[in-house]
Amino acid sequence: MHTTTLAMNTSLLMIFALLIFPLLTSLSPTPLHKTWAVTHVKTAVKMAFLVSLLPLFIFLNEGAETIISTWHWMNTLVFDINLSFKFDHYSIIFTPIALYVTWSILEFAFWYMHADPNINRFFKYLLLFLIAMITLVTANNMFQLFIGWEGVGIMSFLLIGWWYGRADANTAALQAVIYNRVGDIGLILSMAWFMMNTNSWEIHQMFINSQNLDLTLPLMGLILAATGKSAQFGLHPWLPSAMEGPTPVSALLHSSTMVVAGIFLLIRLHPLMENNQMALTTCLCLGALTTLFTATCALTQNDIKKIIAFSTSSQLGLMMVTIGLNQPQLAFLHICTHAFFKAMLFLCSGSIIHSLNNEQDIRKMGGMHNLAPLTSSCLTIGSLALTGTPFLAGFFSKDAIIEAMNTSHLNAWALVLTILATSFTAVYSLRVVFFVSMGFPRFNTSSPINENNPLIINPLKRLAWGSIIAGLLITLNLLPSKTPIMTMPPLLKLSALLVSILGLLLALELASLTSKTFKALPNLPLHSFSNMLGFYPSIIHRLTPKLNLILGQKIATQMIDQTWFEKIGPKGVSSINLPMIITTNDVQKGMIKTYLTLFFLTLILALFISII
Amino acid sequence: MSPYVFTLLIFNLGLGTTMTFASSHWLLAWMGLEINTLAIIPLMTRQHHPRAVEATTKYFLTQATAAALILFASTSNAWLTGEWAINQMSHPLATSTIMLALALKLGLAPVHFWMPEVIQGLDLTTGLVLSTWQKLAPFALLLQVSSTVNPLILTLIGLLSTLIGGWGGLNQTQLRKILAYSSIAHLGWMVLIIQFSPPLATLSLLIYIIMTTSAFLTFKLTSSTTMNALATSWTKSPMMTSLATLILLSLAGLPPLTGFMPKWLILQELVKQDLPMLAFFAAMTALLSLYFYLRLCYTVALTSSPNTITMLTPWRLNPTQTSPLNPLTTMLTLALLPLTPAILALVIY
Repeated sequence: MHTTTLAMNTSLLMIFALLIFPLLTSLSPTPLHKTWAVTHVKTAVKMAFLVSLLPLFIFLNEGAETIISTWHWMNTLVFDINLSFKFDHYSIIFTPIALYVTWSILEFAFWYMHADPNINRFFKYLLLFLIAMITLVTANNMFQLFIGWEGVGIMSFLLIGWWYGRADANTAALQAVIYNRVGDIGLILSMAWFMMNTNSWEIHQMFINSQNLDLTLPLMGLILAATGKSAQFGLHPWLPSAMEGPTPVSALLHSSTMVVAGIFLLIRLHPLMENNQMALTTCLCLGALTTLFTATCALTQNDIKKIIAFSTSSQLGLMMVTIGLNQPQLAFLHICTHAFFKAMLFLCSGSIIHSLNNEQDIRKMGGMHNLAPLTSSCLTIGSLALTGTPFLAGFFSKDAIIEAMNTSHLNAWALVLTILATSFTAVYSLRVVFFVSMGFPRFNTSSPINENNPLIINPLKRLAWGSIIAGLLITLNLLPSKTPIMTMPPLLKLSALLVSILGLLLALELASLTSKTFKALPNLPLHSFSNMLGFYPSIIHRLTPKLNLILGQKIATQMIDQTWFEKIGPKGVSSINLPMIITTNDVQKGMIKTYLTLFFLTLILALFISII
Repeated sequence: MSPYVFTLLIFNLGLGTTMTFASSHWLLAWMGLEINTLAIIPLMTRQHHPRAVEATTKYFLTQATAAALILFASTSNAWLTGEWAINQMSHPLATSTIMLALALKLGLAPVHFWMPEVIQGLDLTTGLVLSTWQKLAPFALLLQVSSTVNPLILTLIGLLSTLIGGWGGLNQTQLRKILAYSSIAHLGWMVLIIQFSPPLATLSLLIYIIMTTSAFLTFKLTSSTTMNALATSWTKSPMMTSLATLILLSLAGLPPLTGFMPKWLILQELVKQDLPMLAFFAAMTALLSLYFYLRLCYTVALTSSPNTITMLTPWRLNPTQTSPLNPLTTMLTLALLPLTPAILALVIY
């Protein structure tokens, strides 16, 4: 075999082998030693990352992509399911990034979960999640993708409910599973449609066979799947609730990898969507609505992890908008850059929470810049990258997206919403930085704050480097498949920057008001709307179960038991017949004269009938 | 009663019916009916207790009214059309009056009121004769005039009879009244089909006679006249009691017993004549009767009612009365259904 092919295929399959090996060692009956998490899991992920760099560099050098089909799994006369890995530019770039971020998070998690007696199981779950995610990303057919899809869903459930003694954690885990399941309905619908109409689950074959078909139904299914997995509006409440899980879980699953699975699905299957205007408009409007709604909710949250979670949701909405703009590569770019700074934001928040003795309310933090300088610096870097500060990582993806949006013929409403959400991003980012690192401490001085642990510092530094240069690196090395529009009026070009600066100034003004009494009474309705997450969870989580239970009662008790069985069925029959029976018997009084009179009357009646 | 008188009365009973069978002139038919009535009256009062006398009186009044009306109708027909022959009745006045009169004689609804009370007042043997032999003569006349009677009247009488037979029997615990209402219902079925296929009506009557005979004789074996008595009849003759269940279900018209045959053929004929709704309603009314037959089966064989220890032994003794007719009619009631094609061939073609 050719050297390049051999090198690529071997290294890609080595990644899987390296990741699966610790899982296999954990199957042995002897208990794992205390540092198994570090010696086996973290090392495996680090090795896998280094191995994955080889295919990445081969791709960057030669543009070589590969599809590996290894095993005929289930093959019938008319339908094949094979084990098939697709390493195109999406998965070749995403895999090293995912492994890099996971490596940093695992190192951090070893410090964060140090006191947990089940730390080995925790790392095993994280590793299993990672394998499922890589399976999803490298899947060449829908079956394998579905395996990865479900795998990440289940691991999300197990990891969110890690502290299962806490009722809120169990509720949040259940919420995650249920909302994801609703999205899975769409995915299964699409899979069934493709199986029936294109006779294949292999992605390239689906593209070819569906060229002349009307794809609206399966695309709506895929969009539903993405709505569930990537927390778009309608199926979004599980993402902020998922913050009940430990911070490494939030960093890995709910910022970088799992939640982008929905968007990744749409990116992979984008050629199907290119020409379907309805699907594109749906993505656009749904994404725009999501990004503004969640950014609004983030403005008034007081839990630092929730703010970052809503920020994730908002960025996911932005990715959905990008897909609606017919720009899958920009969406993918944003996925990659977003992974770095969002993971870093979560790790910073984890470090702060742990230092402050598990305090998560930003109103009770403050002055961390002097107490934990590296952490708060990384927090600042991450926030700047998030808002799209020029030439940091987020700028290359976010600015490109907003430029593409400004210069395309599309729904002006979606445009306005996205611009507004961009400014909100600046507002809540500043809010976090202001409350956490600026000002004076608002907490008790009982816990010693020491961030001088290499287990914290190294991950943060690695991710900070990523947040700064990743955007540039990826943009320099990827050829855009769609021509970007380079010329536009200066106002449009600068719009993203301007609204971000506007948001920043507004937030600074609001922040300076925190030490003054500007208004005697606060403006509560808007604040309540934002703080209560638009009342969406309050309504839906109570209304839907109530309606279902009422429906159940109506059907089972009222309709079946009371109506069909009693009024209409057996008892109805007897209650109708009873008067007739009584009448028939009561007439028999033994009076012959009555009988003969009745006979006479019947005779008259019969004569009338016969004569007329 | 003196055996000579008894013989004479029995003979005259037969004579009356036979005369009606053999006649084609209305006056002779009327004569036969009157001889029949007069013969059975002393038979009914054989036991002189007041209840029997009351039943006899009611019977006499209704039958006399009916016979007088038959005479009136045939005379009117002779006056209006000049015809005395039974099957040449044409005037609607006469045919309707004849129909009602025959209905009164047979005990069809809506003029059925005498039937339950009369049968209740008699012992089981006389009740048997009333239910079976006494239906033959009027039925023969009905067969001959049915083609000229207004079909609406026939259908109404038939449907009403099945309904009343069903509703009436549901509130009864006396076996004779139950069998009276069963007679009303079965006659209703016959009247329904008589305008479309007289042979089928005859077959239906024949099967009904066989079934009722076995029912009455089975009850007579254990001398049970109420449901309570029937409930303890299993101690006296277990074999006949278990067969009694099947006889009752045959009366109800359940396959695979004989009683299903007439209902099945009647429903088929009705549907062939494009009257599915009528067939449906008739079948629904059969459900009403089914309920009280099932209730009887329930008390007879499906549950054990309370007994004292000494009551458990009568079956060990030789039975005091045996009827040779009982086994024959019982077997016919249970097993005749597979012979339907042969019977049809004999009866219809």
